[in-house]
Amino acid sequence: MLSGAKLRSLLRQIGRWLSLAVATALGLSPMMSVWFPSLSPYVALGGLLAVKTASAVTLVGVPVLVLAAIWPRWFCRYACPTGFLQELLSPRRAAAWRRWPPVGKWLLVITVGGAALGYPIFLWMDPLAIFNSFLNAWRKPVAIAAGLMLPGVVLFNFFLPHVWCQRICPLGALQELLALLRRHKRTPLPIPHQQRLARRAFIGMCAGAAGAAVVEKTVGRRVPPLRPPGALLGEAFTGVCVRCGNCGQVCPSHVIRQDWHSVTGFLAPVLRYEGDYCRENCHRCGQVCPSGAIARLPLAEKRQRLIGVAKVNLDICAMANGQECTACVRACPYEAIVMVESADGFSSQPRVVRGKCNGCGACEAVCPVWPKVAIRVYPTQRT
Amino acid sequence: MNHHISRRELIRILSAAGLGTAFATRTVADELDAKNPTPTGWDAVRKQIPVKPRDRHPASLVDGKVIQPERLLPVVAETDVLVVGGGPAGFAAAVAAARAGVKTTIVERYGHFGGLWTGGIVLVVISTHAKENGQKIKVLRGIGDELLQRHTKVSGAIINHEEGKHNPTTDPEATKFFMDEMIAESGANVLLHCWATDVVMDGNTIRGVVFESKSGRQAILAKVVVDATGDGDIFAAAGAEFEQRLHAIGMVHRLGNVDRADMNKLKAAGFKSLGSVEPLASVKWVNLRGPMADGLDVKELTRLEMEHRRSIWKRVQQLRNTPGGENIFLLQTAPQLGVRITRTLAGVRQLTYAESRAGKKFDDVIGVGGAQGANHVGWPIPYGALLPKKLDGLLAAGRCVCVDDKLIEDIRLIAPCLTTGHAAGAAAAVAAQSNCRPRDVEIAKVQKLLKEQGAYLG
Repeated sequence: MLSGAKLRSLLRQIGRWLSLAVATALGLSPMMSVWFPSLSPYVALGGLLAVKTASAVTLVGVPVLVLAAIWPRWFCRYACPTGFLQELLSPRRAAAWRRWPPVGKWLLVITVGGAALGYPIFLWMDPLAIFNSFLNAWRKPVAIAAGLMLPGVVLFNFFLPHVWCQRICPLGALQELLALLRRHKRTPLPIPHQQRLARRAFIGMCAGAAGAAVVEKTVGRRVPPLRPPGALLGEAFTGVCVRCGNCGQVCPSHVIRQDWHSVTGFLAPVLRYEGDYCRENCHRCGQVCPSGAIARLPLAEKRQRLIGVAKVNLDICAMANGQECTACVRACPYEAIVMVESADGFSSQPRVVRGKCNGCGACEAVCPVWPKVAIRVYPTQRT
Repeated sequence: MNHHISRRELIRILSAAGLGTAFATRTVADELDAKNPTPTGWDAVRKQIPVKPRDRHPASLVDGKVIQPERLLPVVAETDVLVVGGGPAGFAAAVAAARAGVKTTIVERYGHFGGLWTGGIVLVVISTHAKENGQKIKVLRGIGDELLQRHTKVSGAIINHEEGKHNPTTDPEATKFFMDEMIAESGANVLLHCWATDVVMDGNTIRGVVFESKSGRQAILAKVVVDATGDGDIFAAAGAEFEQRLHAIGMVHRLGNVDRADMNKLKAAGFKSLGSVEPLASVKWVNLRGPMADGLDVKELTRLEMEHRRSIWKRVQQLRNTPGGENIFLLQTAPQLGVRITRTLAGVRQLTYAESRAGKKFDDVIGVGGAQGANHVGWPIPYGALLPKKLDGLLAAGRCVCVDDKLIEDIRLIAPCLTTGHAAGAAAAVAAQSNCRPRDVEIAKVQKLLKEQGAYLG
């Protein structure tokens, strides 16, 4: 007969191996990759507060949240593949993690405060998103930088065991707070303790909101780069995006790349129309986004969603310079480029029809003008 | 010094000189006569040759209708492969067939080969390359490429042909010359100034072509006919199914002395560029897009010919009246109107734009089209696109092969025309040698011959 402790330990082992297997299997099957990271109530909460729209994906995190209130840190103990990998790959030794401040709780309240203003600052530190980005990095080298988070966390744990899980991970902090609330219901905390907690939460949220406001007032004023169709407008996207890499992974035309040039949007997806474009018969990126940074749009709606608008550089356009080129006109899946004859009939020019063009980039991808293409999709101004 | 000459002396000198001159003249004339026994001068000009009676079959008015009588046509040749049209496609077809060792005849309506390339002054051979796995590769190989290579033997005949470049531009006179050279070397029988007007049918099979020329109406019989007319005149006359399209019809012109123009002044006046480069630095060619029109309607062709020439004249005068452009002159308006597309064959297999961009592979591939900017994959062309659905004894080549409306913009370019022409000529030769219909030809044999002739099949 197994004792209670031994049984729990066995269950825990089984649970974690199972979870690792399921997370890996889901993460590696392209269209299923959304489901595991969306289990995280941290991502669900941050995304929900920031985007203010719920979808089926948001609701997946609810049971985890409810269970966490009953059963302290159950997810960490039984299901988190990131935590499990850290434990597997670190030496067993006494750890002094208790000396560390509760960074995770601060990250959590700051993120919630920021999310209220549309910018959940540390949402990208979710452990499940980190796990998924690692899987995606293996299969698509462009996502490799985001995938380095998991090895980074494991390495960190190697030298400072348990510090990440116990003190930094915001998902762990969320579960701990819930457990705290439940304990408080049973045996109320002393008033000074309560006050201290409330004060800290308030300060953290204000800091988050201030951070979000700063981002909004500074980089938020810039015209953002081209984002996948249905992406949140402006800087909100870089906050809600958890850098899991799912969108880049499922994109059939490989136009979703990582942004290296922006601080706030570091490693967030941007579109590059080099040789291919955002396909008219695809809306996968929105289907696999766990945080709601890219909306889950039906295909018909996605086709109408504005990514940007194509503009022609008539100085170098082959057609406008009298050559027999109709590459962009023919390639446009939405018939948004028309040919306009010049008054003397000597040449024609391509003209982009606003309202038909959604910035899919089919024209840019086929433009034969070299070395700089003559038609490019530009981001639209923020509305 | 005594400069005085007496009257007597003067008379003596003058008479001696006069005698000498007369004698000398007489001697030269005698020598000419001895070398050239046939009479020269007016005798030759007025010489008559025996009158050949003109074949007379006048149409007559019967009840207000014009009726043409039944008539017997002289057959001027019987050949294995008859190529109608001497543009890029017809040229390549004739060379391919003749080199394969079958009796080949090529008929061309103008006095030179090259069609719109030379006569239409289109000059730039677009779609010579494609991009495969990130690498630029040449897809125009075989006869078309050999023709371009010959241009490099002389200076001022071709530009943008160096390694690493694509879409070369040639000098039209050089192209005509090298086309003549290759056709002559191939041993093909040539008839210029012959306009094919009708076909000789035997049931569902075409047996020959009727054409008009200064020699009257004549016929050529052939085992296989290659329709390289561009307009599909032959397959249309033979009753094959086809599609008919409108496209912009333009006219190219060339400007001379462009190297003596002051571009800074011209740019300030709003002339962005003078035109497209040619091998000769002093010349540029200028495209004119023109309105959508039916290239098979002679009234339209007449109207556009005159309208375009008028607007070109106006534009060049404007250029000459602009500071910086005084030295520029109108070197030439293209002898051939720029008809881009008219009929396309309804073939056994229609090649589509979507298939071309996906680089779809075919078992019966006979050539590969390129990318206009060498920026996408090459597109294999299936043999079925040259074959009529039902009509036998004929293969289409050039812009009139079976493609959808978007791919027309690629298939009508010079490089793909050279490619489909080469393929049609080789396939026609194999069909003639194997004594079978083009649709029954063993495709592996055609592919083998094409490869032997240097063609690229992917």
